[in-house]
Amino acid sequence: MSGAVFNYFGYAGKYLRVNLTSGTIADCFLTNTLAEQFVGGVGIAARLLYDEIRPGIDPLGAENKLLFFTGPLEGTMIPTASRIGLYGKSPLTHSFFYSSAGGYFGPELKFAGYDGIMFEGVSSNPVYLFIDNCTAELRDATRFWGMDTNRVQQEIAEDIGSDEVRIAAIGPAAERLVRFACVISGCRALGRGGLGAVMGSKKLKAVAVRGYGSVAVPNVRRMRSLLDELFARFSAHPATSEILPRYGTPVLVNANNELGLLGYRNWQEEYNPQAEGLSGETMRKKIVKRDKSCFACPARCSKFSVVGNGIVEGCTVEGPEYEDIFSLGSMCGHNDIEVVAAAERLCDDVGIDAIEAGVAIAFAMECYERGLISLADTDGLELRFGRADLIVPVIKKIGMREGNLGNLLAEGVKRASEKIGKGSEHFAMQNKGLTFPGHSARGLPGFALGYATGPRGASHHDGRPTGERTGLVQRATIEGKAEYTARINHLMVLLDSMILCHLPEGIWGPLDVTELLVKCITTTTGIDLNLQQTIAAAERIWNVMRAFSVREGYRREHDRLPPRFMEEPIPSGPSRGMMISRQMLDMMLDQYYTFRGWDISTGIPTREKLLSLGLTDIAEDMEKYR
Amino acid sequence: MTITLKTFANIRDIVGARELTIELPAGARLGDLFEYLTQTFGKNFDRQIRNQITGEMVPFLILVNDVAFRSTQDMEQPLHHGDVVTIMIPFDGG
Repeated sequence: MSGAVFNYFGYAGKYLRVNLTSGTIADCFLTNTLAEQFVGGVGIAARLLYDEIRPGIDPLGAENKLLFFTGPLEGTMIPTASRIGLYGKSPLTHSFFYSSAGGYFGPELKFAGYDGIMFEGVSSNPVYLFIDNCTAELRDATRFWGMDTNRVQQEIAEDIGSDEVRIAAIGPAAERLVRFACVISGCRALGRGGLGAVMGSKKLKAVAVRGYGSVAVPNVRRMRSLLDELFARFSAHPATSEILPRYGTPVLVNANNELGLLGYRNWQEEYNPQAEGLSGETMRKKIVKRDKSCFACPARCSKFSVVGNGIVEGCTVEGPEYEDIFSLGSMCGHNDIEVVAAAERLCDDVGIDAIEAGVAIAFAMECYERGLISLADTDGLELRFGRADLIVPVIKKIGMREGNLGNLLAEGVKRASEKIGKGSEHFAMQNKGLTFPGHSARGLPGFALGYATGPRGASHHDGRPTGERTGLVQRATIEGKAEYTARINHLMVLLDSMILCHLPEGIWGPLDVTELLVKCITTTTGIDLNLQQTIAAAERIWNVMRAFSVREGYRREHDRLPPRFMEEPIPSGPSRGMMISRQMLDMMLDQYYTFRGWDISTGIPTREKLLSLGLTDIAEDMEKYR
Repeated sequence: MTITLKTFANIRDIVGARELTIELPAGARLGDLFEYLTQTFGKNFDRQIRNQITGEMVPFLILVNDVAFRSTQDMEQPLHHGDVVTIMIPFDGG
């Protein structure tokens, strides 16, 4: 199979299509239009999967497809261009989902000659894919099935006979189809949305990549000049030069808590009096041994930690990150950073999303304390807030689907609350099946709108808390938040298409797509884009994802927050009294749909909007759903 | 007048305490507090709050008695004896 001439730099220009049912592997080629209109990463993935995944299919069935994809910047030295994205239909949300991770896998895939890998079908026996510098083969993985993600990466590297190989693998949770199973590469997680379970359903244990190529750019001198500018900016900004290197994301524990925006005891509270014990400052003092960096990133925000004492003595972990501390610590009502670190390591080893896991445990704790589930449901565990000793055992139960509790929580909070009933949906802290991460909805109205309308559900990477939390926009108002949120959506989805890390958003944005990002794309690829065309590309991608959701049945009524966030004001702390009522959310939704050119009653993109973005086929498709 | 400064993360490292009592002249404003801190703790403090290319303060919040003020706009905010000032660490996302 050969493709038409592909004009652009940065990309490898092709991706692999691997049919796991037949065992066939073929090269597929990117087109100029795909690159110009969708950039890369989530943009290209959304377009490809809209065409390839039939509406209504079972995410864990043979018809689902799973796509690994990088962006045009991966493999260059542009700071944070280290990322790999994973895309498919989620078993948690039953719609298009994506998750991305830093590390080294993304650049290695580019060096091996590919922008991505599309998996389809189901293998009859466990396999792994080995891509070795432009060649690819499926290998038997029967002897690796059942291994945790750490061990299997070591074993596969040994099987290949190289420590230069980069591996992304699933653990036992994905093999057992835990709905929030993740994929681990090195120590980085393609964490959210349960795409690890999709990989498990296909009997694909791992992908291993080794490459010796490079990434071509149109003009090396221009690229060097851009790199000088970018590294100077990273060096000059406090976030990337001082704060991330020293404390990483856990710096947010005290910062969010001091504003009264830290989820505590399943969001019953948003001020945690024990937060200092879980803080980045405590973590640095007690367990952090050294700082780590992803490919091409000067920020070194990742922390390598060793647990010093207690039931998990000697446990090593890359992390924990802020979200782990929120979910596995604060949400569960304890303040033991060492337990959080050990729990996060176990989540990585069994291969589950630490956010979903911690929030699911917190949900079960509240159910137990309210008498909605019994000791029979918890396999005899007194599942109360503050029981730090139970976090690690319950994670193991979830990851291995052990007992009543493990099987209940392995389905995710939404399905667990549907099974429990008795009003538990009031405090099932999820939207569209995805649980809320560690940034307040009630205390950040624009961000709440981002959570409600996010194509992935309650993701903190569709909207962002930053503008409201740093004072760039007024926090305690809904005025102007519709346009603010839509512009943040575009910034995020463009970063996820290039693909760049969100953490330096103060440099990339922070409130909208910027000329700097356009310059990064044009300097790397040679695509002739201006700012307006780049914003249009981001909006196009956003609309494709929305159309995917519409096909799966999502409408305005699904752009919601949990009843707790809409009915219970924050009870204490600096943000006491704040909440997002249904009326407030509805007002923001009206304005958001209007700004986006979506039908105000259904949330479906209008025909005119889709046509204006050049999405003629999707405009036709959407007529069926009006 | 006396104010109490509460600190986090890098700023706590630099000032060497979770809380610091600071004497400022009567009528001092928020901007005066930052000038005092920069003079006292030098370039190391400055690097935590300012973009070193533009020289401008990056966006972050400062709580004065739990009321939020913005680093980018509110440096004229008057301070009063007994105020508790918390510098929220300049950090994006999470």
